[in-house]
This record gives sequence, structure tokens and C-alpha cells, in this order.
Amino acid sequence: MITAHFGHWWSTLLYLVPVVGVVGWLSFQQWKENRRKGPEEPPAGEP
Amino acid sequence: MSRRRVGAATAAVAAAAVAAAPDPALAHGLVGRQDLPIPRWMFAWAAVTVLVASFAALAALWPRPRLQTLEERVVRRVPALLDPVCGAIGVAVFAIVVYAGLAGSQTANANLAPTFVYVIFWVGLPIASLLLGDVFRAFNPWRAIARCVAWGSRRLGAVADAEPLPYPPWLGRWPAALTILAFAWVELVYVGRDDPSRLAILALAYAAVQLVGMALYGIERWEERADGFGVYFGLFAALSPLRWRRGALLVRRPLEGVVGMLTVPGGVALVLVGIGTTSFDGFTNGTLWNGSGGGGGIAGFLTDRFASLGLGAENALMAAFSVGLVAMVLFVSALYRLGVQGMHRIGGRYAARDLSRRFGHTLVPIALAYIVAHYFSLLAYQGQATGYLISDPLGRGSDLFGTASATIDYGIIGATGIWYVQVGALVAGHVCGLVLAHDRALATYRNPRDATRSQYWMLAVMVAFTSLGLWILSAAASQ
Repeated sequence: MITAHFGHWWSTLLYLVPVVGVVGWLSFQQWKENRRKGPEEPPAGEP
Repeated sequence: MSRRRVGAATAAVAAAAVAAAPDPALAHGLVGRQDLPIPRWMFAWAAVTVLVASFAALAALWPRPRLQTLEERVVRRVPALLDPVCGAIGVAVFAIVVYAGLAGSQTANANLAPTFVYVIFWVGLPIASLLLGDVFRAFNPWRAIARCVAWGSRRLGAVADAEPLPYPPWLGRWPAALTILAFAWVELVYVGRDDPSRLAILALAYAAVQLVGMALYGIERWEERADGFGVYFGLFAALSPLRWRRGALLVRRPLEGVVGMLTVPGGVALVLVGIGTTSFDGFTNGTLWNGSGGGGGIAGFLTDRFASLGLGAENALMAAFSVGLVAMVLFVSALYRLGVQGMHRIGGRYAARDLSRRFGHTLVPIALAYIVAHYFSLLAYQGQATGYLISDPLGRGSDLFGTASATIDYGIIGATGIWYVQVGALVAGHVCGLVLAHDRALATYRNPRDATRSQYWMLAVMVAFTSLGLWILSAAASQ
């Protein structure tokens, strides 16, 4: 059913692209930061 | 009979029920064809680019909090008599609308009540609040009646205590949030939504509840916590640079009035209900909800399920729409919650619940942007019906002001113009949300870098809301 109506909703995916892009970029930045800090260092803000 | 045939029969009955319902007198779909230079999805990408650029600009150019302290100044003295006069006008308008609903024609387009409630009141007032300040408070009929009764009682020496009961702190603005959800249910789900007499009875019932609440908990306290419409419109008025105080008109910087307004329980829920219900209204005009080519929509699927449980066609349809309405509010709330959780993980210092309240006011311009984007065409077209309805509020052929023969000019703005207004409103609302969030983050975290980092996930939320809003509008325009 979903694939049968693909022609009607495929353009919806284009609206998701910016969201996926921003979330992906944020996740990548977070991953890079965690990697730079290393496992020993406590997260920022904790005493 | 096979399950599939039962489903098909139910869907046919449901479709017949929809068709048999009163004309969608207040439908606010686009009129005409859009003539856009680029595909609609590209507008979403452009809007997101504007948001990201605004975020970067704020990080670089807005290093100190500027909106956390309210700075107001009086620009004009106004007669103290203005308050009771506005209240009297509000009571008179309320009485006319209720009378028209009860005694007038029961055809939605011919009666003043539906247009007044769904267009002037529900859509016009939020926009008027942004431009002029808290106009609803001035004209609030139940507040005016309660104040008149209190004044009379004081003159007679009958009132010893203006607030017999303390308002429960845990209740916060939850009554207001439930009121807005209930109104949205009537507007979007209830099959009798266009019935003037039912609207009038609901308005009377709401006014009665407000008067009882004000009598029990005090006029001001009830009004600022539990009068759903008063609280809701008051939030949009807080974005305005104008504020009316008894005897004076004050000016302040735009947006700053809303800072810190949603720290009481239920405040954030109220705004999320506003965004969620408006989103659902747009969503129900799209293919995903309605299906296309004779089936495939969520509405049909849900209606089938409820019909198979034994509900009649009309009730099954209302149940399906009720589920959709609540699901959309929950979805929008989950998006915000995700942003808050992300902020909590990066900042680390504040509990998610605390952050949710601290940053809740950043959603207010977004809620207003959603209203403008989704209902602008309704206001532009159906709002013109007020011209003939004020001359003939009962739809009985009267011509009180000589405007009974006025008509709606659908050429006032085209579909393309409406689209640009919608996109502009969504972008402006989300940029304002980013500004408020950035300013709040600067006041919350120790240094600008931490503040900016804490807002990464709020940026993602804003991007998601922008894309959601434009997708919903685009889907509705494609129908």
C-alpha cells in the first residue's frame, strides 16, 4: 500500500533532508568532541 | 462479508457522512493555483538556511543577554474610563454573537456566530494581540462582568474577601491548556462545529465556568492562569511592543514581554497544544491524512478500525480525528522534549524539566507563526464576510449598516501571495524563537560559548518545526 502510493508522498522526504542534515551535523560534532575529550574527562558542567 | 469489504463499506459510509455534513463554511483552503518559481520543498531548504545563518549570526553578534530585564516606559496616558467602556463593548459583542447563534439562521455562512468565533476571535485576536497588545483582556466579557459584579458588591459592602480560595499552585495553566485543546477539538473534530446554536451554547457554558472560577479564585488570578483564551491571547500580546495598563499605554522592546512567562506548570503545555492543534488542522488537509485516489489515508484507516468496533459512521470519524489531534500534540511535544534533552546533555547543569520551563517561551512566536501561516487565507477571505454579517447577524435579511449586500473578494490576494505570507510568517516566527532561546541561554549559562553549544539542539527543533510547518502547508496546497 505504501509503495503503491509512493508517487504521492515521495516529495515529503525532501522536507526531511534539512532536519536530517542538521541533526547529522550536530551528532558528528558531538562525536568529535567526545572523542577529543577522551573517556577519562568528566562532561562539562559536572564538578 | 470479508474484512476488506466491511472496511470499504465503512469508508463509504464515512465519506457519505462527511459529504452530508454541513458545507465546510469556514474551510480555509487555498483559492486558485500557486505560481511559484521553485518547487515548494525548496522553500523549506531556504527557510532552514535562513535559520542556520541566523543562529550563526546570533552566536557572533549577540554576546550578552538583552531581553531578560523588562524595560518599559509610558508613552501616553489614557482615560481610566477606557477599561470599563471596552469591557461593556466586549459584553455587548458577546451578547450579540450568542443571540445570533441561538435566534438566527442555522446556516453557518448566513449567521454571525461561526465566522466571529472561528475567524475574528480565534485567528484575528492573536494577530491583533501582536500588533496592539492585549486587546482581549480589555474586551474580555467575563472579566468585565465579574469586575462589574465585584464593583457593585464592594459598593454594597457585601464582599469581605475578593479571593475566597487560594488558587492551587500545581494547577498552574493546565486549565488553559485543556481549554485550548477542547476548543481545537470542537473546531477540528466535532461534527456540529458550524452549528450556530451549539456554538452559542458552548460560549455561554464557557462564560459560566469563567464566572464561577473568578468568583472562587479571584478575577485576576483566574484570568492569568485558567481562562484559556485570556492566557493564550495574552502570550501573543506579550510579544507586542505595546502594553496597556490601567490609565497608561507603555512601550517595550518586541519579544521581551514573553520572557519568563511560562515558568508555571502547564505553561509550556499550553503553547505545545497551540502548535500541535494548528499543525493537525493543516495535516488534515493533506494526502497522508485523507488519502488519494480513493483510499490510503490515515483517516480512512482509523475510521475503519473504529467502525469495526461498533461505532456509527459519524462517531467513528470523530474518534479518528480525536486520535489524530492528540497524536499531533504529542508528536510536537516530543520534538520539543528532544531539543530539551539535547540541551540537557550538552549543558549538563540543569534538569531537563527545569530547562523545559526556562525555554518554553521561545515557542510562543512559533505558535503565532503557525496560526498566521495556517489561517491567513481564512482571515483574508472569510474575514471579509464580517462586512455583510454585521448588517445581518441573524441571517434574516436585515441591513443594519447598509453592508448586507457586500461580498467576499477572492481576488484580494492570490494563492501565490498567500504562500509567500505563510513562508514569511514561519521563517520570522522561528527566527524570533531562536533569538529568545539564544538570549535565554546567555542568561542561563556562564559564557557565550556554552550558551551557543546548549542551543545546538534547539536549533534542530526549530529546523524540524519549520520543515514540518512547510510540509503541512505544501501538502494542503497540493490537494
